[in-house]
Amino acid sequence: MAQRSVQIIGYLALSFLVLITAWAFYGLGSVAERRLSWSVLVDAYIHQILLFSLKQAALSATLAVLLALPVARALYYLPNLVGKRSFLALCLLCFVLPSLILVTGLVALLGGSGWLTPYLGESWSLYGLQGILLAHCFLNLPFAIRAFYLQLQALPASSWLLARQLKFNTWQQCYLLEWPQLRGRLLTVWVFIFVLCFNSFAVILSLGGGPQATTLEVAIYQALKYDFNIPEALSLAWLQLLIAGSFYLLITRFGSSGWLSADTAKPQFLPKPKPVQAGLHRLSYYLAWIVLIAPLLALIPSLLQINAERLSKLTLLKPLLTSLGLGLIAACLAVLFALLVLSPIRQARQQHQWRRQWLLEGLANHHLLMPAMVLSVGLYVWSLKHLDLETWGGVFVILVNTLVLVPFATQQLKPRLFQFDDQYQRLTQQLKLNTLAYWRILMPWLARDLQAAFVLCLLLAMGDVAIFSIFANDDWMSLPWLIYSYAGSYRIIEASLVSFLFLLVCACLVFWLEKIKT
Amino acid sequence: MKKSYLLPLLTLLSLSSVQAADKPVITVYTYDSLVAEWGSGPKLEAAFEKTCGCDLRFVAAEDGVSILNRLKVEGDKAKADVILGIDNGLMEEARATKLIAEHGQVLEKLSASLKWEDKDFLPYDYGYFAFIYDSSKIAKPVSSLKELVESDAKLIYQDPRTSTPGQGLMLWMKAVYGEQTASAWQQLAKHTVTVTKGWWEAYSMFLEGGADYVLSYNTSPAYHMISDKKEQYKAVLFSEGHVAQVELAALLKSSQHPELGKQFLSFLISPEAQGIIPVTNWMLPVVDGIELPPVFSQLIQPQRIGFTATEIAEQRADWIKEWRSAASK
Repeated sequence: MAQRSVQIIGYLALSFLVLITAWAFYGLGSVAERRLSWSVLVDAYIHQILLFSLKQAALSATLAVLLALPVARALYYLPNLVGKRSFLALCLLCFVLPSLILVTGLVALLGGSGWLTPYLGESWSLYGLQGILLAHCFLNLPFAIRAFYLQLQALPASSWLLARQLKFNTWQQCYLLEWPQLRGRLLTVWVFIFVLCFNSFAVILSLGGGPQATTLEVAIYQALKYDFNIPEALSLAWLQLLIAGSFYLLITRFGSSGWLSADTAKPQFLPKPKPVQAGLHRLSYYLAWIVLIAPLLALIPSLLQINAERLSKLTLLKPLLTSLGLGLIAACLAVLFALLVLSPIRQARQQHQWRRQWLLEGLANHHLLMPAMVLSVGLYVWSLKHLDLETWGGVFVILVNTLVLVPFATQQLKPRLFQFDDQYQRLTQQLKLNTLAYWRILMPWLARDLQAAFVLCLLLAMGDVAIFSIFANDDWMSLPWLIYSYAGSYRIIEASLVSFLFLLVCACLVFWLEKIKT
Repeated sequence: MKKSYLLPLLTLLSLSSVQAADKPVITVYTYDSLVAEWGSGPKLEAAFEKTCGCDLRFVAAEDGVSILNRLKVEGDKAKADVILGIDNGLMEEARATKLIAEHGQVLEKLSASLKWEDKDFLPYDYGYFAFIYDSSKIAKPVSSLKELVESDAKLIYQDPRTSTPGQGLMLWMKAVYGEQTASAWQQLAKHTVTVTKGWWEAYSMFLEGGADYVLSYNTSPAYHMISDKKEQYKAVLFSEGHVAQVELAALLKSSQHPELGKQFLSFLISPEAQGIIPVTNWMLPVVDGIELPPVFSQLIQPQRIGFTATEIAEQRADWIKEWRSAASK
């Protein structure tokens, strides 16, 4: 049976994923021979950064959720807002945007000599908690807006008909219709953003004001690269794994968040908001527009200041190609792996072996539990002794990026593949299709989802900073790392130029993604 | 569409392939401000390559401590022949890696006031750590470290884990405050704008108007007077004295070209290189008889305080822990 070979490859792919994790744990486990002291757990500094990591994540998540609610409601209640489709696309762009582009934009807008800084008073500083919150809010607010908006969209029209018959007032609508609809989602979105911010790296590294604003993730990097303190880096990595992992488990208990789905706005029997309410809705919508677009537009004025001399000193091409190359390979591999590991999962599902399906899916997605930093540190510590990182660094960057992306790709492809199985599996069996013929039918069916998964993975891989920072050395650069080094030495014009270029690349990809999705 | 993926990949591969070189290559690990277009690197490279018949390549880390960290990571697989830019505070820790070879230079060439006797590490310039301020903005600067710590002036300094000036401040605080250093760090943290990874980041941010004071060197104003023709940047003279930094070069045992490496070290203390360094790296020369631009005589002349290299090597890890615990509060 031809399908058997695919199954075997699927299991091999799955074992490969698990093996790499085991390998990373082996690296992390070398703690013992390096005399791990439990002193990390009683170190006042570690307590401080742990506290700070939790605090900034909780504040960021709360802010993003609170600010997203009015905007999502505005989008829902006023279906004919000007530029609504572009706004939703912008939201998607902001969420997948490499965070250093945003950081550059914020520095151009609110940094030492930013456009808005003169109006912010003497004591304003972008560095530290306020800058981190601002950046995190910007990156995650759009996600929350999309998630809440789609959730509200799912309110059945019949509910509104009933509400109209019962003559609900605004408060009753809120309390009896919106709240039950959003309640579950609020917590999921909050926890999800919390985990993202807890694992945030690039933002903290560039906006954190030294030891006062450091998170666990950055502390791991610093222990490794600043202090060359391997036992400390390893113990911090374990701590990070423990905390991020438990929070992630918490989310999966609550179910997943739909945020990437297309806007399926149907005409509904929505209550017409009173003029004042409509005005408020419009206000929050346009405010959100301004807030989200401002840091991106702030990159443009710097572009006009660039002159030929500065331009000629920019080494843009090589980092751009490096990022594209790393991203393309990692994204292709991730999609391929997702496709492969899904075949045993689909088989288990067809045979109604729920337990096995659950186990296999858990294995396929287990990297969601492991922050990229933890995985990288494990592999890095191992390879220090055994490999020449100068040669192997790139391979590891691709490998770890691929591993981290497999769950994303899997989630993108899974529903469509399950649908295929339900509709056509029996038919393909009856027709006794060989492997080639089978895939030739499956591929066109899956084409859109493959593209979407690929673009999403590419965007995420190109934005990676954490993995790159561990394995790269000073001799090669990715686009985000180039932005970081320019922004770090305060060459905002150069940083803006590179960011703008990167933004264009990402915007094209998001445009493609939106096109695939609708 | 598939073809369009291939193109960048192929270009990537072709870029990463090493170009064949006919001359021997000597690799030097150093810090980034040295290799900047205005730094000493390009000029030293041009001058040395004229005579050595070799290709000199600089590889830059963020700052001095990062050079040592990189060396520890790479061990005897390090690509460098020479390291350039660690300082007297890191000397013993660097020696402990057992990767450093003897420099083989005649130390009588160095100025006697340095009293340098080390066989492994060779000084190429020195200076004193100092805080720089803009005198067009601050009329009456602080006059001591204690006054700075107790003030509410905004300041930027560098991370002692990566940067030699940052480490210098750590020694300075310890020398002035002793047992009370932790609480002094805490007080300082209240008006610290940010702690950067390297000297360059901090200094650029200061020039952009990011702070009142930045940690740098007593020689930094000379740069502004000569290159920028700006008089307003000045160093503050602290009444407690200043910590000195002697910047060091060393040959690695793993070097493939030890003779070239030694030739480079000897070049570093030659009158030619010593004439380049003060007006590009903005530090003081380590040999006598170098003619300096007149503005160097206007620089502050601090009294030297601090610790010996052995004392630093013994305590550094604890002092860093003390700093990070206190500064994170």
